[in-house]
Amino acid sequence: MGLADSGMLQKPVAKPLTWLLNYSRKYSLWMFQWGLACCAIEMGAALASPRYDMMRIGVIPFPASPRQADLIVISGTVTDKMAPAIRRLYEQMPDPKYVISMGSCANCGGPYWDSYSVTKGIDQILPVDVYVPGCPPRPEALIQAVVMLQEQIQNEGIGNDDMRKRWNGEPINVV
Amino acid sequence: MSDLEVLTTRVTEALGDSVIEHAEACGNLVLRVRLESWRSVAETARKELGCNYLSFISGIDWMPAPTVGLIEGDTSTPAQPKEMTFGAAGSAGRFQVFAHVQSTSQHIGFTIKADLDEAAPHCESWVSVYPGADWHERECWEMYGVVFDGHPSLRHLYLPWEFEGHPLRKDFPLLAREVKPWPGLTDVEPMPGSESDEDSKDEAGEA
Amino acid sequence: MSTTEQPSVPTNSGPDFNPGPDFKDIPAFEVDPGLQRHLADARVNVELDTGDMIINLGPQHPATHGTLRLVVRLDGERVIAADPVIGYMHRGYEKLTEFRTYPQVTTLINRIDWLSSFANEVPFVHAAEQLMEIEAPPRAQYIRTALTELSRIATFLLFLGEMGLQVGALTPAFYGFRDREHVLNLIESATGGRFHPNFNRIGGLKDDLPWGWIAETRNVMKIVLDACDVFEDLVLGNEIFQARTRSVGIIPGELGASYGVSGSNLRASGVDWDLRRDGAPYLAYPELDFEVFTHPDGDSFARYWVRLQETRESARMVLQLLDKMPAGPIMAKVARIIKVPAGEAWVETENPLGQMGYYVVSKGGTGPFRVKIRSASFSNVSILPWMLRGVYVPDVVTILASLYFILGDIDR
Repeated sequence: MGLADSGMLQKPVAKPLTWLLNYSRKYSLWMFQWGLACCAIEMGAALASPRYDMMRIGVIPFPASPRQADLIVISGTVTDKMAPAIRRLYEQMPDPKYVISMGSCANCGGPYWDSYSVTKGIDQILPVDVYVPGCPPRPEALIQAVVMLQEQIQNEGIGNDDMRKRWNGEPINVV
Repeated sequence: MSDLEVLTTRVTEALGDSVIEHAEACGNLVLRVRLESWRSVAETARKELGCNYLSFISGIDWMPAPTVGLIEGDTSTPAQPKEMTFGAAGSAGRFQVFAHVQSTSQHIGFTIKADLDEAAPHCESWVSVYPGADWHERECWEMYGVVFDGHPSLRHLYLPWEFEGHPLRKDFPLLAREVKPWPGLTDVEPMPGSESDEDSKDEAGEA
Repeated sequence: MSTTEQPSVPTNSGPDFNPGPDFKDIPAFEVDPGLQRHLADARVNVELDTGDMIINLGPQHPATHGTLRLVVRLDGERVIAADPVIGYMHRGYEKLTEFRTYPQVTTLINRIDWLSSFANEVPFVHAAEQLMEIEAPPRAQYIRTALTELSRIATFLLFLGEMGLQVGALTPAFYGFRDREHVLNLIESATGGRFHPNFNRIGGLKDDLPWGWIAETRNVMKIVLDACDVFEDLVLGNEIFQARTRSVGIIPGELGASYGVSGSNLRASGVDWDLRRDGAPYLAYPELDFEVFTHPDGDSFARYWVRLQETRESARMVLQLLDKMPAGPIMAKVARIIKVPAGEAWVETENPLGQMGYYVVSKGGTGPFRVKIRSASFSNVSILPWMLRGVYVPDVVTILASLYFILGDIDR
């Protein structure tokens, strides 16, 4: 986080302050609207339908621009034609940013594992935090993925070194 | 006389000499017409037979796929005959273009096929008859390399502009079955009509 | 710190700007002379010479509900030319079907039009059955029809909500999603999948209906019929909605047909053509009593109106099916390893989005030799360059929403 590096916070950051910052961050995840394929409808059901209603766990699905978002859900098949656009939008997001790969297609190619135009796995172009299996995963699975991501955020350190370490760890798998 | 027989007589009379052969396939009338009259057939179908609705235009490659059914006894991969056979109404060679037209008022429809030259497949465009043929012909050019003479802009429809090959040809290998590395990230694709996109159009013109 | 020179920024306007050959005028087609008068050129304002601007709508844009990219050339607020760039969801179905066996293909084609997956399977399974000269037993046909209509209801409920969302009303979206969940529950309890049932087998169905399903469906159909009334009051009767949609995005019926526009979009343009009634008889539709709705206007409002009436009619059809549901087996006698004799079959059905057809070519193996997939949205969207000429930017969103396409159905 830039806050620690800018000198406004003394390093190492005090534990209660880290806890407070992480606590605030995890319940105000701004999620980038990025509907790709079938999973996008289940993502829509998780966000907009009264039955699932993801906003109650602190995910705000309103930013239509990646520059205001800190969570992106890759919901569906990524094609080779689409991959550059995804990469570019991901780069526009401010740090710290999180990626949830939703559905078999985004995880590994899914039913299109041998297609000539599908990117087999979004993790070839983005670092993924949480993988959600399923074709498509139920909305509950996506909600659980977000909860697991929130747990991860709560345990994060603050400061650039810790952020860098984050990518060396294993991604979370929702089971 | 059944409806299909009535339709067959009507269509073959209207199209006259252009029809080489006609057949029935599961209740659907299939006609094979001469390549020279590909466009005039569409005009007759639209103006005289009242087929105002274009369902699709596509191509077909009759060559047996070299990579299908290689593993003996594996039921998860399909097995297909290895010799070249042709479908309803026959064919003269490897490539065919086929289309389906329908009438929304008389509720009739039939499939039209035409044989293409194997070395340089090309045929006339239907865009001036059915405006909707535009995208179908772009798709067919991309997938089979069939050049449609008179099409306003034959360029990639589905695939990235630098894609090589025609995927639906039977000799195009499926990437994951043959090991081929991921092409990697390219830069953002150019706007349609810009220079690099023009190249692909030029290639289309030469082919 | 101060900069004396402004860096040269490439502009998209000015007299020297060359938009490229792609934006040259769409040639005047030899359609009816009466239609030529309607060609949208006349509506483009050429008197005020303002600079043109090219903007990209998509591939990531909330209004394209998916990955459609529209390159539009604007003169002020007006669209001069629009070029849809598709293929961001192209997954190569037609190639993949050649590398799959027949039962595997049904799994794959579920995902073409992902909102009405069950309806996607039906024409392919029918084509295979026609080639094998078998027929599913009557009970299987009835269950297939019921599930097809249920997926139509689920698809249209999403549209009825989403269309409101696109013109600025948030409430209908919640109602649409709420009532859709009931229908998805029914599909899930019968097939095991909310989205991709993969329930059809060549020659019948995987399973019979679960216990209590028929009674539950009757209840849900009441909810759906009530929801239709709610949408009629809430959306169709809304003055703002009417102002946004009336006479916006008009498709003349004859032109629409020549572009291959089908389904509710074509019926909203006054063409009375429904494959459930007019096509080759399939499923249990010949035994049902239902009405086909058309609207003479052909604008966005008409498309919403037609879909709303069709949702209601589908619910009535499901109720009829439940009353007439015959008893008996659900599977015909089929060999364990399915081999389809050589031949060709063209089967078209009326899917929620329009005419869906499969041209299946078999050479006698365990997998199809060639499957041409004729999907509805592909042709429905191909009329966009014509429709969008001369409209205002906010109307672009209305038109896209009212055409109601699914990206997987465009790109396959």
